[in-house]
Amino acid sequence: MDYYLQQLVIGLSVGMIYALMAIGFTLIFGVLNVVNFAHGEVYTVGAFAGLIIITSFAPPLVAVLLLVLAVGALTGVGLERLAFRPFRRFTDEASVKSRAMREATLMSSLALSIVAREGIELIFGSQFQTVPLKLLLSEPIKLGPVTIVNGDIIIFVTSAIMLLGLQYVLKHTQVGLSIRAVSNNALGARYVGIDTNRTIVWTFAVGSAMGAVAGILVGLYYGAIFPNMGFAPGVKAFVAMVMGGLSSIPGAVICALIIGVAESMSTIFFPSVWQELVAYAFLIATLIFFPRGIFGGARERV
Amino acid sequence: MSASDTASGKGRSYFWSAAILIALFVLVPMLLNFLGRSYLYQVANIMMIFALLAASMHLVTGVAGLLQLGHAAFYGVGAYTAALLAANAGWPFLITLPAAGIAGALMALLVALPTMRLVSIYFAVATLGIGQMLYLILLNWVSFTKGPNGILLFGGLKIFGQDFSKPAMAYFVVAIVAAASIYVIHRLSHSYYGNALRALREDDQCADAMGIDTVRLKVVSFTISGFFAGIAGALWAHTAGYISPPDFSFNVSILILAMVVLGGLGSLPGAIIGAVILIGLPEVLREFKAGDLRNVIVGIVLFASILFMPKGLVGEASALDLIRRQFGGAWRSGAQTGRIGWK
Repeated sequence: MDYYLQQLVIGLSVGMIYALMAIGFTLIFGVLNVVNFAHGEVYTVGAFAGLIIITSFAPPLVAVLLLVLAVGALTGVGLERLAFRPFRRFTDEASVKSRAMREATLMSSLALSIVAREGIELIFGSQFQTVPLKLLLSEPIKLGPVTIVNGDIIIFVTSAIMLLGLQYVLKHTQVGLSIRAVSNNALGARYVGIDTNRTIVWTFAVGSAMGAVAGILVGLYYGAIFPNMGFAPGVKAFVAMVMGGLSSIPGAVICALIIGVAESMSTIFFPSVWQELVAYAFLIATLIFFPRGIFGGARERV
Repeated sequence: MSASDTASGKGRSYFWSAAILIALFVLVPMLLNFLGRSYLYQVANIMMIFALLAASMHLVTGVAGLLQLGHAAFYGVGAYTAALLAANAGWPFLITLPAAGIAGALMALLVALPTMRLVSIYFAVATLGIGQMLYLILLNWVSFTKGPNGILLFGGLKIFGQDFSKPAMAYFVVAIVAAASIYVIHRLSHSYYGNALRALREDDQCADAMGIDTVRLKVVSFTISGFFAGIAGALWAHTAGYISPPDFSFNVSILILAMVVLGGLGSLPGAIIGAVILIGLPEVLREFKAGDLRNVIVGIVLFASILFMPKGLVGEASALDLIRRQFGGAWRSGAQTGRIGWK
């Protein structure tokens, strides 16, 4: 029983990571109606940036997280400029929603993600980077019957703070309101004088910042920072977004937690190598049985 | 290497078909012999295998417009079918080749039946998920697929007891199989059948209203594409002699997609040229000691071709024009009445 509880706690903290990633996907899908395939690489960039910051300055963890947040936002802005802006020549609703545009940006972000991943691999090599031992978030903490590490708590708390912060930004700031407006109706938002291009840039900045923080948190939690690390969480966050109904942030967060817990619970019944299959099985099942997502019926956008 | 082969029409279409066949079976082997490195034959074999993969993806992604991100799965199923049959049961190449194709086709049919009603991006993601699932199964089902150790084929490439394992001999086997397969894909995609696929790519509701059974066409074209990917897998297994899961990972799916996009979506010559470039370019660069850059180059080429050449090297319209004039295909019979279209 204790083991189940322990897996549940671990699953929740992994799920929080997926949730941070899924929010980036969901925000960007909301405003642009396209999938950002380079989101996984933002996560990798965040982890590497965090590692460089830690090894060169060794600041406290909070400072690292804030710096990584900034790096992630910059990465997102650059990504938008390179992979998305060039394909947004036409701004009318028909071409914004057209298939050709979606597929062009899908492939351009995919291409950029390959370049980024292989570029990092050329610079740092494909092996795991060594994380200084004392920085690893692996100090055991006894919590009633379960033993977890401080990383679980730090991840959970940081993610929860960021999720609440995001809710505040979306509901009470100019930027957040314009993001919601654009994702609700891009053309309508233009008509009432919202600068959609700027809003899109902001969306990328916010979404990517959260992805980058997820990257460094996981990197410090597992001590595993390597160029290909972003692919699997990226796909899982994407699955969470699809399950959550594509444009609902609460839906994506709940589904990310479900995936995290399901993955960590699956190790009780199956060898852990099959853990990766859980998310893909969820994806296929969702697409076949709930094509609009489990929370898609509500249609709450962002 | 070759766009299409046996001449199908009358008159000048013989010329180009013959020219391609001569180039494929006489000039290229002569050139490779002259250069005298068996390594180059291997590169040529890989090029032809990937040309076949790109052509099979062209049918689904280019002609039918279904963005596929898991093509390597069918390639892998074919390769593992051929390798397991050859290594465990000792079956000869001539039986494992069609068996691999059928396995790829069955796999594609299984994938297509539930996913075909998904639209564009969801379909792409579903194929990505399935490709990853298959990759993980290849990697982790150790008792059956030998997992990360891969499978070694000691038998090599034998046809009627003759040994074709040497790269120079294997070249001809691969060339014949790839050329025949690409010819079939050429006939499929440049015909009324291909026109129907293009119609549903442009607007599937409209195509439906015109009396085209869109779901069936999509499923069948996907299955055919899986069949040829399986054939390519068998060729790979028998010429390389060793297969392991990374040969069929997501990166390979993207490589094939990059070939199709670089050449031009919907253009068969483009897909083949894309395969030749993306396999050839890293080899050329290797001569200049830049072999590590392979995947970066795939990414940069993909990005640049989407950004600067959205139509690809050989755009669909010009490719169709070329093929209609020089190769005819199944359109030839319609040319007499001067009308191209659905009969």
